[in-house]
Amino acid sequence: MNREYMIKLALVWVGIFIVLVLMFWLLKFDLAFMAHWASFLFEGIGYTLLVSALSIFFAVILALIGALARLSNNPLANGISTFYVSFIRGTPLLVQVYLIYLGLPQVGQSLEALGAPGWLADLFVLPAIPSGVLALSVNYGAYMTETFRAGIQSIHSGQREAALSLGMTSAQCMRRIILPQALRIVIPPVGNDFIAMLKDSSLVSLMGVMELSWRATKIGRRYFRSLETLAVAALFYWIMTIILQMFQARIEERLGKGRKR
Amino acid sequence: MTPIIRVRNLHKHFPHPIRRKEKLEVIRGVDLDVELGQVVVIIGRSGAGKSTFLRCLNFLEEPDEGTVEIDGVEIPAGERIREHDRLITEIRMKTGMVFQSFNLFPHMTALENIIEGPITVKKWSRERAIAKAEELLRWVGLLEKRDEYPIRLSGGQQQRIAIARSLAMEPKIMLFDEPTSALDPELIGEVVEVMERLAGEGMTMVAVTHEMHFARDVADRVIFMDGGVFVEDAPPSVMFTNPQHERTRQFLVHIL
Repeated sequence: MNREYMIKLALVWVGIFIVLVLMFWLLKFDLAFMAHWASFLFEGIGYTLLVSALSIFFAVILALIGALARLSNNPLANGISTFYVSFIRGTPLLVQVYLIYLGLPQVGQSLEALGAPGWLADLFVLPAIPSGVLALSVNYGAYMTETFRAGIQSIHSGQREAALSLGMTSAQCMRRIILPQALRIVIPPVGNDFIAMLKDSSLVSLMGVMELSWRATKIGRRYFRSLETLAVAALFYWIMTIILQMFQARIEERLGKGRKR
Repeated sequence: MTPIIRVRNLHKHFPHPIRRKEKLEVIRGVDLDVELGQVVVIIGRSGAGKSTFLRCLNFLEEPDEGTVEIDGVEIPAGERIREHDRLITEIRMKTGMVFQSFNLFPHMTALENIIEGPITVKKWSRERAIAKAEELLRWVGLLEKRDEYPIRLSGGQQQRIAIARSLAMEPKIMLFDEPTSALDPELIGEVVEVMERLAGEGMTMVAVTHEMHFARDVADRVIFMDGGVFVEDAPPSVMFTNPQHERTRQFLVHIL
């Protein structure tokens, strides 16, 4: 892209910001209020990042298992994997969150009624954060199963043949040859998923986790200043995704070795 | 002396690409004995079953009928015994394979490609594998490309690395599946030269190739394959000057 075009592009962005600031001014945004509560909202970022990072971690593990099961010849593994992906992708994340947070304790109760020991029933009553992490990782794991499957299948069959011809077992071939190459391919979509998850993690506010959007709505409602607090929360989310995108670019660059001439 | 490769009544079919219920017979009953140190070249038009036959030798394709015996390890086709996978691995460790499209591992440097097999499969120490790899890199004339990724190498260089990668497993037999067919003409020579040196060192080789110079100068036997069977099996001197079968003659007229 040439210089002139870049300048025009930058001017459009600056223009949008000016319009926004003007709007804030016209709507009589309480800047002092925003500044006062910003640090309280900021503390919610810790929970947001914790929930997202744990969830993406477990989601990647689930997706890897799901994809390998999906590609295996074992009908049991394949069946469980296809059911998992189909059910999770076919139901809203919000319903899944409630199923785990509100539905599971009921399962525990019923088990207790059937004569199960109390400690077993207690296991079904998950605190808010584990519930949220469970819901998000199960949900994203299903979508990412398909991503991982596609990544693995995109590796040319010659790679597998070369590995097998050296005497590698299927497992060795998968671990040493296929997965490292597939991983490089799925980094961009997984990075996208992580960014999406960062925002979907706001759903755990429904369970009372004091993360970013929980704080924004709570404070906003209390003082009837929702626009201000939500604007601050949105800004924080936005900045986080920008930082994540920069990380993503660096990881892609590192994994790109062997691909550049 | 018992042959190092012994194939009996080999059959292989694939599902027909269009008529689903029919089978496509690719290999229709092939026998082959190869003595230790022999160089055998298989020629024939595309679709004759040459590559499939070669891939049956190390079970990249599972034969449907017949037996394959490599260096005393015998695998009957269609056997589903528990030993099966272990025997296949044993055969694959005794045979190296070089592919038309090189199939180097793109995420590894030349050296890493070569040490991968010995370390992962043979459980060699890294030092030992690297020493072996450097010796092989020198042998194929690419020691200075030790730390390059495959994408930065020419086709000829990639294929020489691929040959070194196979040799690192210290195989008794080398299988070549059209090793020069994907190369620019000016790069074919360097690969053929490596293959010639390998033959000179007494390696048992089975090669599917269109390099008639290699067949004429290096091969002990040339086999003409057509329609899934071996039509003619003769020393190159006979094959290229006085073929016995009409089908062989027709094919040779086209390529020579």
